[in-house]
Amino acid sequence: MDRIDPRARWIFSFAFLLSATMFWNPAFLLLFFLLAVTWYLLGRTRWKETRRGWLLVGFMLFTMIVINTIITGGGAGGVVPPGGHVLWPAGFTIPLVNWQIYFGLTVERLWFAICQLMRLGGVSLIFVLIPYTMDPRAYGATFRGLAMPDSVAYTMELSFRFIPTLGRDLAVTLDAQKARGYELEKFKGGIFQKIARIAPLLVPVTMNAIIASEDVANAMDLRCFGQAKRTWIYPLRYHWWDHALIAFSALMLLGSVVAVHIFNAGGFWVPDWFMRLFV
Amino acid sequence: MIDENSRPLVIENLSFRYNSRKEPAIQEINLSVNPGEVMLIAGSSGCGKTTLMRCVNGLIPNAYHGDLDGGIRLYGQSVLDMEMAEISQKVGTILQDPERQILGTYVLNDVAFGLESLGLPRDEILLRVDQALERMGILHLRDRETFGTSGGEKQKIALAGVLAMNPKILLLDEPLASLDPASAHEALQIFRQLADEGLSVVIVEHRVEDVFAIEPERVVYMDEGQITYQGGREGLMQVVDYTRIKLPAEVVFTRAKNDPPPEFEPAVVKTEDNSEELVKFDGVHFRYDEDLPFVLEDINFTIKKGDIIAILGHNGSGKTTMVKHALGLLKPTKGVVLLEGQETKTITIATAAKSVGYVFQSPSQMLFAPTVADELAFGPKNLGYSKDEVRDNVQWAIQTVNLSDEMESPPLALSFGQQKRISIAAILAMRSRLLMMDEPTAGQDYWNYRSFMDSILQMPGFEAIVFITHDLDLALTYANRIIILYDGQIVADDAPEEILLDEDQLIKYRILPTSLLRLNKLHLPETGSFFRAETLAHKIG
Repeated sequence: MDRIDPRARWIFSFAFLLSATMFWNPAFLLLFFLLAVTWYLLGRTRWKETRRGWLLVGFMLFTMIVINTIITGGGAGGVVPPGGHVLWPAGFTIPLVNWQIYFGLTVERLWFAICQLMRLGGVSLIFVLIPYTMDPRAYGATFRGLAMPDSVAYTMELSFRFIPTLGRDLAVTLDAQKARGYELEKFKGGIFQKIARIAPLLVPVTMNAIIASEDVANAMDLRCFGQAKRTWIYPLRYHWWDHALIAFSALMLLGSVVAVHIFNAGGFWVPDWFMRLFV
Repeated sequence: MIDENSRPLVIENLSFRYNSRKEPAIQEINLSVNPGEVMLIAGSSGCGKTTLMRCVNGLIPNAYHGDLDGGIRLYGQSVLDMEMAEISQKVGTILQDPERQILGTYVLNDVAFGLESLGLPRDEILLRVDQALERMGILHLRDRETFGTSGGEKQKIALAGVLAMNPKILLLDEPLASLDPASAHEALQIFRQLADEGLSVVIVEHRVEDVFAIEPERVVYMDEGQITYQGGREGLMQVVDYTRIKLPAEVVFTRAKNDPPPEFEPAVVKTEDNSEELVKFDGVHFRYDEDLPFVLEDINFTIKKGDIIAILGHNGSGKTTMVKHALGLLKPTKGVVLLEGQETKTITIATAAKSVGYVFQSPSQMLFAPTVADELAFGPKNLGYSKDEVRDNVQWAIQTVNLSDEMESPPLALSFGQQKRISIAAILAMRSRLLMMDEPTAGQDYWNYRSFMDSILQMPGFEAIVFITHDLDLALTYANRIIILYDGQIVADDAPEEILLDEDQLIKYRILPTSLLRLNKLHLPETGSFFRAETLAHKIG
């Protein structure tokens, strides 16, 4: 992975994102998912270093797939046709309060959740890898190399410079509030009360970041940022394999467009073997 | 006689008013700087020093807008006729907090930033970066990440980034603020060396005594936006109010004889040796991760009722890590910390907070509430006090810090000094017995931090006080006990009069003896104790 030019990596990643999100066809999604797994394995990351990233992705996937698709069915709207083979009609009763939850999960929606997992999982595999395998010094030069203006390109690099600072500020504020008896784990009440309970953390960190941004802007002005066409000292050079990857990315994107818009191969369907498992 | 066009900087009748304010920030400023000179600009907070710097480096009027009158010329050319890029190649600026000035994730990228912005060829940039790093003696840091570097290293990196652009004038805004004494001394030597090499160095600093060590050729004193003194070092020491800026102790000692003695009676009083133990460290070792080395090793000491302890030590010596253990914010890897007899591993931080109040370095790290009243009630509510107790504690705390009129004000809208007092009141309202402060004077000028420390130490409510500081004078003026940490170990723990006598020992631990220490040592046989220079002046003859 280190030998691939970061520009080629980003081109592949965006082409993958655009291509995979055109499909609900499980066969194509499986292909994309397998491609993503292969790509991820090329990164040779260790679980210990990536687990925090996966925790965040896991939370996002859980919200989108388990809550939004399986439980509420909201995520399947417009893709899964209405009706279908109901899998769990009665739902269940919450003990003590005796609330009846009508589940209404269908086989089609369950299969849709699996498709969603392949699609979102594949995209996550591609993008989670980036911060763990890309040199933080390369962001600016890479995005400039992808024809973005200097200001946008440098913003990407600067954000990586200040992520650890922000993390440290958050840790200091958390300690300062803990020293005043604040307990993060003791969140009670409704959503607004919970948000209000985070204010002791968010307000100081946000205010400090705003104050610091004035110094950062001054420091950039004082070192002539935006005054001339910028030189990026990070060395970037395409090799034959980068050209091959870019060509593959272009073909993948083009192929996806053709498959979806000319051959109408992007649509959602449920395989018979899956249906037979339940019906 | 230097020709006006070859003077690096000439300022004539300069006044500036920010658009957001009614009054001018600076008025009728006239000064000039010669090549190879160090100029010290001193003054207390709000005197206009920073505004003056912004006028010179072009941030005014390019980034900050307002009414600008008068002239600023760099080698005879008006800055108003120059582009930022042109000004920045003549004037290099180091901001107060180098952490915020460092823009690159790696040292090489940060130092190269300005040259990249100017669009120079890559090879030339790399050459100039290496030259600048070598000049600062930090070429070995070239490929290191900037985040993990120390405060002193960060300042050198920021300096290298500016020097790579070959400026003729160097503006330094309170460059010593975040450095320990040894690093500050080293930084000052670098500034002197740069001036000797031909740069004009302008240092804005209220630690006047420290800067005098490199013998600035010219000294300017500003007050309320105007220059009230301009001349040599000796002249400044005779005309400026010695309570406003930190002058050498001998000067204060001589001048204070004619003034009334200062009144200071600490509220925390040392009691018998067998008095109650509030906190006990017993064989404490600590490391952040099992793969990492220990940052604290075999720490043993107790904090007793009546103690006013100053914790001294170089940057990274483990001071803050040690103090966090008292409250249970960190738990020992080995050994125990007992808080009022209870092991901190067995109690929650909220429980510990009833006994230990911990004030962090900057109030902006904790203030969040819409009003001062809400801010002060936050701690007692978290600790489960009843409504009546919360109300009574808040009232008592706000009266103690003398800010009753600000009860309904938003804390973040108050001045820095008031915010510091609110942060103390927030701890007072929790009725903690022990007050711990991390760098209580950070970010305050000399007059403000002295009055802050005077008021905290005279305030009723605490049974013991512990503060972390780099300022030796603060320790010997206010503490009745000093602990010195060096590389994670306690290397001295005794009364100031016992452990500050051996200067070689202090230097070994990166603590630099000051003029106040030397003056006190001189008179110790007569006084038997250490005092501030003003008090000493009235105790001796």
